[in-house]
Amino acid sequence: MARYTLQRFIYMIITLFIIATATFFLMKLLPGSPLTNQEKLTPEQKQIILEKYGLNDPVPVQYVNYLKNLVQGDLGISFQYDNRPVTELIVERIGPSAQLGFQAIVFGTIVGLLLGIFAAIRHNSAGDYFATVLSVLGISIPSFVFAALLQYYIGVKLQWLPVAFWQGFEYTIMPTIALSMGVIANIARFTRTEMLEVLNSDYILTARAKGISQAGVIFKHAIRNALIPIVTILGPMAVNLMTGTLVVEQIFAVPGLGEQFVRSINLNDYTVIMGTTLFYSALLILVIFIVDILYGVIDPRIRLAGGKK
Amino acid sequence: MNKLDYQNLSPELFQPAPVNTHDQEKINRPSLTFWQDAWIRLRKNKGAITGLIMIIILSLMAIIAPMTSDYSYKEQDLKRAKLPPKIPVLENISWLPFDGKDANGVDVYEQRGIKEYYWFGTDDLGRDLWTRTWYGARISLYIALLAAAIDLLIGVMYGGISGFYGGRVDNVMQRIIEILVGIPNLIVVILFILIFDPGIISITIAMVITGWVTMARIVRGQILKLKNMEYVLASRTLGATNSRLIFKHLIPNVIGPIIITTMFTIPYAIFTEAFLSFIGLGIRPPEASLGSLVSEGYRSIQTFPHMMMIPAIVISLLILSFNLVADGLRDALDPKMRK
Repeated sequence: MARYTLQRFIYMIITLFIIATATFFLMKLLPGSPLTNQEKLTPEQKQIILEKYGLNDPVPVQYVNYLKNLVQGDLGISFQYDNRPVTELIVERIGPSAQLGFQAIVFGTIVGLLLGIFAAIRHNSAGDYFATVLSVLGISIPSFVFAALLQYYIGVKLQWLPVAFWQGFEYTIMPTIALSMGVIANIARFTRTEMLEVLNSDYILTARAKGISQAGVIFKHAIRNALIPIVTILGPMAVNLMTGTLVVEQIFAVPGLGEQFVRSINLNDYTVIMGTTLFYSALLILVIFIVDILYGVIDPRIRLAGGKK
Repeated sequence: MNKLDYQNLSPELFQPAPVNTHDQEKINRPSLTFWQDAWIRLRKNKGAITGLIMIIILSLMAIIAPMTSDYSYKEQDLKRAKLPPKIPVLENISWLPFDGKDANGVDVYEQRGIKEYYWFGTDDLGRDLWTRTWYGARISLYIALLAAAIDLLIGVMYGGISGFYGGRVDNVMQRIIEILVGIPNLIVVILFILIFDPGIISITIAMVITGWVTMARIVRGQILKLKNMEYVLASRTLGATNSRLIFKHLIPNVIGPIIITTMFTIPYAIFTEAFLSFIGLGIRPPEASLGSLVSEGYRSIQTFPHMMMIPAIVISLLILSFNLVADGLRDALDPKMRK
């Protein structure tokens, strides 16, 4: 297990390094310069600014400096947001995004699990079809369409919830629902499939034969085994959530990281784009790493396969 | 029937049946190939067939509609801006939103003296949304074809080579995949779109780089499993060449998972393009994509809901039908996975 963890960890570091390198060189290829929007500057002033940010150094020197700073958690200085450090900008914006993500995972997982279990118990009934249709729709309707519709009907037409902005709990409800739709659909589909498989296995038959109630069979025996493979969809789900926050924050005007990322892309703000990209990648790679290890811990078969290598 | 009178049954009724050794081995049902069998299973799946029909209809519309329309997708005319949808015949059905009246019930066409019909209405700049919507659907379908082609060409080849040759080749190829898997797709796509200008070409390149990894992994897994089977060994013993092994024995056995994976890649690719266009990184005006149409329509959703609703419905239907067909194909091609 220790060897497997170490191996995974090394891969994680290599991947991060490659992403950091690729991001740096791709950014150097970008059309436009951070000074594009400041046309009033004299050539001398431009020179001073380029000098100050080290943009006049040869690219390899810039690269080494960039890596050095990166290791110390310094992602550079934003060109557009009043010269503020990128790390500070990210830290400032991460709160709302993290809260949204967390709420969406909790809400989505609970609803998804209930829906999936319900569908599996009532296999081939109207309830099952309803749950299946719901989850297929949940997977098919793009998050931005769902978020926009939600905002229009619940926020504008019915005026049940605030339309946008971020000023208290009721402002988080609609973005959370919009974001959790994908989570609900994925978890419901997965739970249903796994539960159906487990419910047909012999040990469930034994449990039933011993006279355990339906609820006892479901909650004490079936769910535990059905939930093991759910760990595998956590990685893709994290990616989904990240994509989701980009548009959902845009639509509901949430002052989060995703909203800032999209804005800095349109502003050509290199360092913020680079920093945020790295931050997102590191986050996702960390999630994938944890999921891999977790899966090894939960399911001994994976560990054996890893050891044989 | 009354009770049988056992006493009166004649012994002739109890003759042994003639044994025809020739007919014993006869196969009464027509023998089915793998594909016929799969098609029968697919046909029974209502969702998949609905999806298939919807894909055909949407594709036909995407091909034909922009050609038959009198307006090009980028033709602007401010005199006819922001018209609500109006369709002949359907305009007389009061509950359908195709009567050319805006949110306040005013017939805008009459007010402005416009004789033509704009089936899906027009946008802020007076561009015909009927043409633009189906033009956008073309882009989505192009992306779908592209994603499938990348999966089939690069993914299958990479996975196949890696799995079949094994050893050091496999080791190196797998390390590369291991790293690629760690990099979030979307990040690569966004970075590429930043270097090249947003547009169909950058999306294409970015997808070529990231799109095939899942397929390669699945094909490799299958090939690894299959190549150690006895029938492959038998064939090899009989002197079959590598290419014969690959094309006659391995590929036909992996084709099921390949098709299933391709079908699941397609809706994801369509969504990715629409998503990028929505946040302004994909197709940009005057070109039209379903994602950018939704984004443009979203800005005026309060006054002109049709501008967003129509492309939103088309993109959702498109992704939905590909998902339904993919689900159906999985059940049809891989009965073991069927629940």
